[in-house]
Amino acid sequence: MNIVEINGLTKDYPLDKTIVHALRGVDLKIAQGSLMSIIGPSGSGKTTLLNMIGCVDKATAGTVKIGGVDISGLSDRQITDLRLHKVGFIFQTFNLIPVLNTLENVEFPLLLMGKLSNAQIRAKAKKLLDAVGLGDYFNHRPGELSGGQRQRVAIARALVTEPSIVLADEPTANLDSVTGASILNLMQSMNKELGTTFIFSTHDPDVLQYARSIVKIHDGRIVEA
Amino acid sequence: MLSIKIAWRNLFRHRGKSMVIGAILFLGAFLLTLGNSVISGMEKGLDKSVVGGFTGDVILISKEQQDPVVLLNMGGKPVKDILRFDTLRPKLESAGLFKNILPVGKGFALALNEQDGVPGFAFLLGVNFRQWKEMFPESMRIMQGNYPDSTGLLMSTGGLDQLYSTMGIWFQPKGFPIDTALLGKDAKEAYPHLTMQNDIVFMGFNEANSTSDIRLPLDGISKFKALNKIWGHFLFVDIASYRRCMGYFSEADQSASLSATQKSLLASDNDNLDALFGTEPPTPAALGPDQTIIAPKQILTTTLPEEAGAYQLVLTRFLPSVDRSQGLDSLQRFLETSGIPLQAVTWQKASGVVGSMTIIIKIALNVFVFLLFFVAIIIIVNTLSMAAMERTSEIGMMRAVGAQKSFITKMFLLETGFLSVVFGGLGILIGVATVLVVRWWGLTTENDILQLLYGGDTFKPLFGIADLILTVIQLTLVTFLASIYPVRVAKSITPLDAISRD
Ligand SMILES: Nc1ncnc2c1ncn2[C@@H]1O[C@H](COP(=O)(O)OP(=O)(O)O)[C@@H](O)[C@H]1O
Ligand SMILES: [Mg+2]
Repeated sequence: MNIVEINGLTKDYPLDKTIVHALRGVDLKIAQGSLMSIIGPSGSGKTTLLNMIGCVDKATAGTVKIGGVDISGLSDRQITDLRLHKVGFIFQTFNLIPVLNTLENVEFPLLLMGKLSNAQIRAKAKKLLDAVGLGDYFNHRPGELSGGQRQRVAIARALVTEPSIVLADEPTANLDSVTGASILNLMQSMNKELGTTFIFSTHDPDVLQYARSIVKIHDGRIVEA
Repeated sequence: MLSIKIAWRNLFRHRGKSMVIGAILFLGAFLLTLGNSVISGMEKGLDKSVVGGFTGDVILISKEQQDPVVLLNMGGKPVKDILRFDTLRPKLESAGLFKNILPVGKGFALALNEQDGVPGFAFLLGVNFRQWKEMFPESMRIMQGNYPDSTGLLMSTGGLDQLYSTMGIWFQPKGFPIDTALLGKDAKEAYPHLTMQNDIVFMGFNEANSTSDIRLPLDGISKFKALNKIWGHFLFVDIASYRRCMGYFSEADQSASLSATQKSLLASDNDNLDALFGTEPPTPAALGPDQTIIAPKQILTTTLPEEAGAYQLVLTRFLPSVDRSQGLDSLQRFLETSGIPLQAVTWQKASGVVGSMTIIIKIALNVFVFLLFFVAIIIIVNTLSMAAMERTSEIGMMRAVGAQKSFITKMFLLETGFLSVVFGGLGILIGVATVLVVRWWGLTTENDILQLLYGGDTFKPLFGIADLILTVIQLTLVTFLASIYPVRVAKSITPLDAISRD
């Protein structure tokens, strides 16, 4: 089953008096359980595409369906809810709430959902932090963690809600190669163990080995899938 | 709860911003507390020193009196007479509103200068001294001499000062040495070479422009507990002497006048008075329909009561259970329906400039409070909006992860709410402490306008439960109004705003 279905997606950005065509008609199907990498040079439209899939930006034309639902017709409230339940984000930088410690950051989306008891939430967050190797860092604030550690917390937070898709926009761009590799290894193993769909973008061909499928993007078009 | 936790911790994370907003809220709450206390203290003080000290709750005047400024109408026209009050009193009492009803005469009189100097002038208040004391027991202190009994003249230190500054004569009750502590500034300078007299000749003016004069010995010097200068414009005389001075000759007036003391006074006094009561026929100045001019011989046998004669004002105090403004409303309705030829005015209206002055002071204080409000809101709006924009990435990320707009709103309101409670609360506490210190300090003033602001001679700001509620409401309103725009800014931050900052 396809968790993401994109048809004829275009995205224009007005820039001064001209228009930037960030995406020029993208068709893409992503199967549940994929570990997909979107690769392309800087400015090719990777971030734009991920934003569309993550329901944080609106298409100029075309449709994006998440789990069979066309997101263009949804209200802000519904889209936010969709992000909370179906999508996990791992940003390149600044991805944690500075005033919350590691454990609380991971608990954050579950608390927003308000479905589980506090004890259940705590247990789940601890389990995921253990899984990403941060079992000893529950009480650290983001400021006290290294870049790699923060990225791990972000992964734990993205996974804690058991979303359909986890999106990571150049997750290793700000990390050294060793840390970057460990993050990608972690995604790989989570994909295997939990069956979560991972989509990450990169401009670095060296990290492609971690992906199970690759989409090449150039100048707003998919050139090879 | 999640939003509370985040909001609380953000306060400490963004200490600078918290301190700025906290300081504004503190200062705002502090000044609001002071402002409200001053207004409250002024109201309470005026209530005590004006309503309880001189005017009563409501002043009744003749229906024919057009100008409601009947108390401090400097050089104004005489106030229209109220006649046959003895018949009106039972009707008024039947309204069931009043604790005290006190008719008084009020007129403008010249104080003749027997030392070839400039004459003075004063308002004479013709009262039944016993009734006055019953109605205003806390109003004044006798500093020297005696509080008059049935007849006599009582002057306040404020009144003596004023007469001294125009006439250059200091009036002193007979048999009492001059007490320098009671002398005004001018008189003190002249002391001990002070021109002094024990009695004073008043010449009153009535509506018919006929005048008559009367010599009265000074019985005592009083001092009003508050607003001594303003009330000093009034000299208190017994109603019978007042009527004679003002040229009212009615059966009742005359009968009242012929008490033993008055007779002795007549015997001892000068030509003016002799002429008045002896050879010349009385002038029918302000006679009611039932009143007739009678020969002096008949006077002795008459039984018409004192209250049958002419008055100008009726001072009233409501029963403790009657609210003043409600009482005024029902009184006006009562006067309307019962056909009593009187109208009711408030002391603010009756005292003209002074009354308006207190209203102006109150408005000024309220404007001050409002401006404070305004400035506080603007500064807080600025700081908070900037804080919202500074946190774009953080807020956008929360939104991306699934936080609704309402969550962001809640977080922001909680942050400002905490600051408002803590710093605003502190401001109120320090404000109350300041009010208490000021009350304990007991700032006093001789200045008329400041006395109105103080609501008396002493500055006694007041912070009661009502003021607390008012201040808390105002503070909450400031916090809320100041949060509207910043919350809108924060709410409009999208996940994309956070991502595109990467
Ligand atoms: N908000 C924006 N306003 C204007 N142009 C934008 C905006 N976001 C992206 N672009 C343009 O769209 C194109 C694709 O950008 P992006 O998706 O960020 O590329 P990538 O992530 O592959 O580097 C680029 O030319 C970029 O300059
Ligand atoms: Mg990018």
